[in-house]
Amino acid sequence: MSIFEYNGSALVAMVGKNCFAIASDRRLGVQLQTIATDFQRISKIHDRLFLGLSGLATDAQTLYQKLVFRHKLYQLREERDMKPETFASLVSALLYEKRFGPFFCQPVIAGLGDDDKPFICTMDSIGAKELAKDFVVAGTASESLYGACESMFKENMEPEELFETVSQALLSSVDRDCLSGWGGHVYVVTPTEVKERILKGRMD
Amino acid sequence: MAKQHANWSPYDNNGGSCVAIAGADYCVIAADTRLSTGYNILTRDYSKICKLADKCVMASSGFQADVKALQKHLGARHLIYQHQHNKQMSCPAMAQLLSNTLYYKRFFPYYSFNVLGGLDNEGKGCVFTYDAVGSYEKVGYSSQGSGSTLIMPFLDNQLKSPSPLLLPAQDAVTPLAEDEAVDLVKTVFASASERDIYTGDKLEIVVINAAGLRREYIDLRKD
Repeated sequence: MSIFEYNGSALVAMVGKNCFAIASDRRLGVQLQTIATDFQRISKIHDRLFLGLSGLATDAQTLYQKLVFRHKLYQLREERDMKPETFASLVSALLYEKRFGPFFCQPVIAGLGDDDKPFICTMDSIGAKELAKDFVVAGTASESLYGACESMFKENMEPEELFETVSQALLSSVDRDCLSGWGGHVYVVTPTEVKERILKGRMD
Repeated sequence: MAKQHANWSPYDNNGGSCVAIAGADYCVIAADTRLSTGYNILTRDYSKICKLADKCVMASSGFQADVKALQKHLGARHLIYQHQHNKQMSCPAMAQLLSNTLYYKRFFPYYSFNVLGGLDNEGKGCVFTYDAVGSYEKVGYSSQGSGSTLIMPFLDNQLKSPSPLLLPAQDAVTPLAEDEAVDLVKTVFASASERDIYTGDKLEIVVINAAGLRREYIDLRKD
């Protein structure tokens, strides 16, 4: 079994009209055994920037701690929050530093940039950025997520419709993946508010 | 010293995706027409769909040489059946035959991932899905091939089949109308062609209903 499939994960981020959604599953497993059904894979960096980390959970936690540390330093020095594009470059650089002994994570970054323009990106475990205009996926359920998102995505969705679309795509995709599931966490972020919702899906 | 292994494989994967959806009085079977090997395209115009009997059609992805051999074998067995019983094989009968044929080669399998679609003796749509060694199940819809991981979750979302464990037994066929099912198939292949490099070029759709068999071709992305 690949090291990326040790814990199991599903992550998706989607762009809407002046908003974005980022969603993950809730399962934490050790190969075939489930050990937690409320695992948080998505973390807030600041009010307009969210980071999801799929892959090996221990590396995801360490990487998250390093990134929070770097962002706090940035805030102290620059007296402002990091822009999503800048944060993405930071994550990419941190990952490439470990080029020959990498973190076994695939991050998904979603944020609102200047003029409230939504920004999403993903990268591989050594920091190769993939900027997308529509959606990005990561985790053991990534192939299923590609199929579901590609079929369900529409441009310029309002926050409520975006939430429905992301939720349906996430739940259908994790239902076809043994290593991810046990519900979902969905964050829908607009310039004025952040709505966190928990989905109930198949509990298996 | 460790056992030496062959660096030649009798198998190859020619890629592609297949889908079948069963309706109340119709069945839709579809597959793309791209034949590839590795990162090369051999042809953009290869049919993965084979008519086995009047109301029974098989779509197969995987190693097309094995698929061709399998189609030939099933065709021969069907001819013998017709001689002996003076009638065409029904779809459920062909389904069992396909399963037995695949398991016969359990220890040197046909590298063929099949979906069988057609009408049963009452005229209701039926779809059977297989693995390479003949394990099969009657379902309301299925997909196989390189794009199946992309296609299946979306079909689940749109068609959600009732569990076979439910009592009383619920119908596996979808409540969709025939044209809605064909549109769904076109949508699903358009999405699969975007993200799966082995799926594309053209889509071949076969619809079986009481009136007979109808074939349709739709263009897909050629990249």
